[in-house]
Amino acid sequence: MENVITLAHGSGSIQTNELINGIFKSNFDNPDLTADDAAVLSLDEGKIAMSTDGFIVSPYEFPGGNIGKLAICGTVNDIACMGAKPKYLTCSYIIEEGFPVEELEKIAKSMGETARKAGVEIVAGDTKVAGKGQVDKIFITTTGVGNIVEGVNTSGAFAKPGDKIIVTGDIGRHGCTILLARNEFNIDADITSDCAPLWSNIEAVLKETKDIHVIRDATRGGVGTVLYEIAHQSNVGISLESEKIPVDPGVRGVCAMLGLEPLYLACEGRLVFFVPASEADKVLSALQSCENSEKAAIIGEVTEDNVGKVILNTAVGAKTLLSRPSGELLPRIC
Amino acid sequence: MNEIIEKAREIITSYDGPKVRIMEVCGTHTHEIFRLGIRSLLPENIDLISGPGCPVCVTQVGFIDEALYLALEKNCLITTFGDLIKVPGTEMNLAKARAKGANIRPVYSPDDAVNLAIENPDKDVVFLSVGFETTTPSSCLAVKRAKELGLNNFSILVANKSMPNAYQKLKGSADAFLYPGHVNAITGNGVCKQLKEEGVSGVVAGFTATELMTALAVTIEMLKKGEPFFVNCYPRVVKDEGSVFAQKLMDEVMELCDTEWRGLGMIEKSGLKLRSEYSDFDSRIKYNMPHIEGKPNPGCRCGEVLQGHCKPSDCPLFGKVCTPLHAVGACMVSDEGACSAFYQYAQ
Repeated sequence: MENVITLAHGSGSIQTNELINGIFKSNFDNPDLTADDAAVLSLDEGKIAMSTDGFIVSPYEFPGGNIGKLAICGTVNDIACMGAKPKYLTCSYIIEEGFPVEELEKIAKSMGETARKAGVEIVAGDTKVAGKGQVDKIFITTTGVGNIVEGVNTSGAFAKPGDKIIVTGDIGRHGCTILLARNEFNIDADITSDCAPLWSNIEAVLKETKDIHVIRDATRGGVGTVLYEIAHQSNVGISLESEKIPVDPGVRGVCAMLGLEPLYLACEGRLVFFVPASEADKVLSALQSCENSEKAAIIGEVTEDNVGKVILNTAVGAKTLLSRPSGELLPRIC
Repeated sequence: MNEIIEKAREIITSYDGPKVRIMEVCGTHTHEIFRLGIRSLLPENIDLISGPGCPVCVTQVGFIDEALYLALEKNCLITTFGDLIKVPGTEMNLAKARAKGANIRPVYSPDDAVNLAIENPDKDVVFLSVGFETTTPSSCLAVKRAKELGLNNFSILVANKSMPNAYQKLKGSADAFLYPGHVNAITGNGVCKQLKEEGVSGVVAGFTATELMTALAVTIEMLKKGEPFFVNCYPRVVKDEGSVFAQKLMDEVMELCDTEWRGLGMIEKSGLKLRSEYSDFDSRIKYNMPHIEGKPNPGCRCGEVLQGHCKPSDCPLFGKVCTPLHAVGACMVSDEGACSAFYQYAQ
């Protein structure tokens, strides 16, 4: 095979076949991966969750992952947040002419590994090649589907006063990693993206209790944005203990230097749970026993007053409003 | 809450003497005070005023117009601290100029701007140099480096300001100042001690919850005594003599000049400009800059806000046409700006 992607790779010709067989098929290998126009699949009875997400992160490779791993985790986690076990994924690539084949191989390998780890099959795909300059290197869109575990009913509108709010680990690492990977600030810090598939974490929680009100994947906009979304959707207030929010010291340092709020930096491997107070300890210990959520913590609770607002209880024993960011934060983080 | 914070909190919340006005002069203090919710702890007889300590807030409209001129008329690559991009000029801000095709790049330090000039020899790189004694030394270093490298495509548009003489203009606005810890770390405490002799009180404050609460509690205790005072409440960083290296560097590269502060007007010897030895790196000289008179929005009361004469909510534009998304006044732009902080808190 040639060492860069050419327009011929997207033309449906021999080169397209070479690309599919040589790179995608070998890395995604599973019995349901189709060679036909569509994959023919079966799902269990009951409700399904389905979601789609486009990935245009720059740079496409960063400490802790690459666009391929991100494209699997993003969609898998979105489905998982509805209490569904992710089962099938499709993926669509738009690749810039001249993109190194070796790099594509790396991305596909990472997608295959992450999909296997998440227990999901990549069953269909599409590849388009765009002329030089028409896209920035590589864009990936994934679509996923899975069965919702019976008895689980989560929604952003279900948070209730008294619910405890749990975050599954330290926040803001992905956003901070991308910021540093762009090398615009010449800051060196040992920070890696938290990018990870999280179905097994949710599954562990659901084995303990199905009485979960909200699960949200805190991606673009970070945990702060998720909290505001839930406060609005559920018509409740949110009270946070600022000292209890886990933040990596490196992330805290970078945020202090650049004037950023860790609560608004993107995560790609962090969930926010809203659970009844009676279930909080169970959920917390289930999470703490899983990889990627060992540092789960209760960071606050839902209140009846201050509807639509997120209030921080600060280090000086005062209450303050979590300010909402405006304008561009970080473009193309996922 | 640690013991020190608890004790400071007790002193602050139990104050029942006559009304006192305390002005925090540093934008980072304003931001931290909001972030920590300190205002909500204060009894009614303690008025905490946000002073002109945010470099973005005090940058005059004409300066943005000058930057726009260099970007749009002279095709310069404008490098700047991020906040400045949203500050309104007379016609537009730098973000809008960027949308119209101007080359505007946020950088973290002036040194990054020098690096851009090295990497792009075909582009004229201009750094928008704003800030107080905390950031001025880094601009001076950048200019020195550019001179040593013999760069002919790098210059700075200077609007740096110097705090000491600004206190003279502000001294009637408050009963005590929370002096900006990082400015004092450079300038030393001489000016503050001199101000005490003139009857102007204040304490140097640090930036953590413990440091800020301590500084406020000390201020309250000292105000109760009724004598002018100066206390360094940030001794882990601020030494009486300041940073002699930074002082020498600033003196070598820049000199004091009269300058306009957005909202406060002209203050004698409160600005900085490049010395003649470095005039090759002065964007105004290099590009033969015409005199540009900026026209601020006549309804904007940022100036009065900056002097503590009115609260942001007293301004007719506040929260109506002037919001963080569409800032009219500079105090609404930066997170450190008093109006922006008030707006977010009031929502």
